[in-house]
Amino acid sequence: MGCIMIFSGSEAAAKPRKLLMKGAEAIGEAAIRAGAKAYFCYPITPQTEVAEYLARRMPEVGGVFLQGESELAVANMLFGAAATGARVFTSTSSPGFSLMAEAMSYIAGAELPVVFINVMRCGPGLGGVLAAQSDYWQATRNSGHGDYRCPVLAPSSVQEAAELTLAAFELADRYRNPVIVLADGMIGQMMEPVMLEGLAAGEPVEKPWATQGCGGREPVVVKSLYLDPQVLERMNRRLAEKYAKMQTDEVQVELYNVRERHDLVVVAYGTMARICKTAIDRLGKEGLQVGLVRPITLFPFPVDAVHSAARHSAAGVVTVELSQGQMIDDVNLALGELGRSAFFGRSGGMVPTPDEVTRVFRDLVKRGAA
Amino acid sequence: MIEIDGEQARVEPTQPGGGKADRPWWPPLGEGLRPRQPVVVIAGGFGSGKSELALNLCMGLQAGGERVRLVDLDIVKPFFRSRQARGFLAAAGIGLVAPEGELFHSDLPIVLPEIRSLLRQPDGVVVIDVGGDTAGSRVLSSLGDAFVSGGYELLVVLNTSRPFTRDVRGLVEMVRGIAAAGGLVPTGLVANTHLLGETRLELVLEGLGAVRETGALLGIPVRMLACSEKLARRLQPQAVGCPVLELRRVLREERLGGEWPLADEED
Repeated sequence: MGCIMIFSGSEAAAKPRKLLMKGAEAIGEAAIRAGAKAYFCYPITPQTEVAEYLARRMPEVGGVFLQGESELAVANMLFGAAATGARVFTSTSSPGFSLMAEAMSYIAGAELPVVFINVMRCGPGLGGVLAAQSDYWQATRNSGHGDYRCPVLAPSSVQEAAELTLAAFELADRYRNPVIVLADGMIGQMMEPVMLEGLAAGEPVEKPWATQGCGGREPVVVKSLYLDPQVLERMNRRLAEKYAKMQTDEVQVELYNVRERHDLVVVAYGTMARICKTAIDRLGKEGLQVGLVRPITLFPFPVDAVHSAARHSAAGVVTVELSQGQMIDDVNLALGELGRSAFFGRSGGMVPTPDEVTRVFRDLVKRGAA
Repeated sequence: MIEIDGEQARVEPTQPGGGKADRPWWPPLGEGLRPRQPVVVIAGGFGSGKSELALNLCMGLQAGGERVRLVDLDIVKPFFRSRQARGFLAAAGIGLVAPEGELFHSDLPIVLPEIRSLLRQPDGVVVIDVGGDTAGSRVLSSLGDAFVSGGYELLVVLNTSRPFTRDVRGLVEMVRGIAAAGGLVPTGLVANTHLLGETRLELVLEGLGAVRETGALLGIPVRMLACSEKLARRLQPQAVGCPVLELRRVLREERLGGEWPLADEED
């Protein structure tokens, strides 16, 4: 095995074709295709494969791969690198995401475009390494201090993880705001065929605020410190307008089997939504009409889609999560005068089977009919 | 709130005709596929199909009347490991060697002490499923002294649909990396190119070609081609040139939608 080998180079790699990829790898590759120039990370299960993948790929495309000494260091590196106007990102999992929260607030305050990938594991605390969706509140309200919010994109397949990673970079640049891709451990770890050809960065956004050297113009300062209360309030109002615009313009939702009338309406995201789809298909064969509203953006939340689907549902709405009930708050806000959602969830790394979910839905329909 | 119950990882054994069985039925391994040594180590990249291959070999051996034990030595990831088939293996009467209790779910570097004695005195066939890539194979080096010289097969499973093993260059690098990290010499390559449910025959054959070329460059024989039963039926034996292992899916993740990840294959 010690001989020298010469390869011709014209290998199958050149042909556009599907690859079998882990969610974590697809996220890494999508970021490269989005034009990410720097990736800072600190390893944590179940997403270390993003780092592993990029440790090989970033040098190949002339990008920066840097493993920091901690998540705190990583998040502050992101601040500095994003201030130059380059597309930068990190990936982590729940406990690591908490450690990045302080810097994330600074990044939001300085209005810097940074993509944070959080491949959730189960908590609280060190918890476990299996899949969960228990960081919904943290991601959709705000992980750090202060009046800020971030768009949160939730993939439910490996292909979508790649596409939403790309979309996250576009959104971050467009709004000058951090964007979170919130995947669960299943999405990070499972493999599926993925087509990456065609995934490419959009038109570059002008970044006159970036610290790239003055070159004759006035210096720019990237900061989140405003000691004058009037100035700071003005900035907070401007940020609030930005978040309001996201709520108007950036909602993404998938409707599955949503019709005029339903026996039951389900709201679920990520992996959990896929399990629900299987249950919905099975119940369809029994003659039950169950519709699914799958938020793709968790913030902005698809309020209208949930409200509209719920209007004609005999047994109302059930929110299904891999947590003890977090998204249900947003579902109830969306339902308003229509009442409150039922809830079904597993946590701690327990992922329900389609059988289990089918049984739950069937019971709810029966109760609704009664 | 609704009261629920259920198991975290569920594996549904199937038998011909699609029915569920307490004791899964499996065809015995053909002559060319039977292990040449009492210890068979299955290594390869992530997603190469190591665990499915290990499970299928165990089932085929058991069906042929062998005493079989499966050692799950994947210490690098906590998801999609052969140990998830523990109920399935127990129903088939195959011993599983993997950490128990809460450590079952960990990705800690645990090497159970009984593995050393099994390697020295296999008493039947011992199939070892190691973790992916060079990182996963590194654990073998810690067991180096327990491997009996010439008493094992080290099969490297290769899938040319994976990002870093798409071509001969990547395949060579993978085989060399696994050999270097594990400190053991690979004795055979397994061509197992697949895209889960989207695998087509042309893809399988294209992968076999690249694995053959890799084997020729490295001086390692192609030990077998692995593919689904359905595709195997369409292969012309003379064109393959090595034994064919017909894989039956064990680690099916039915939770993730329909028959995911094994959707209907091309007819």
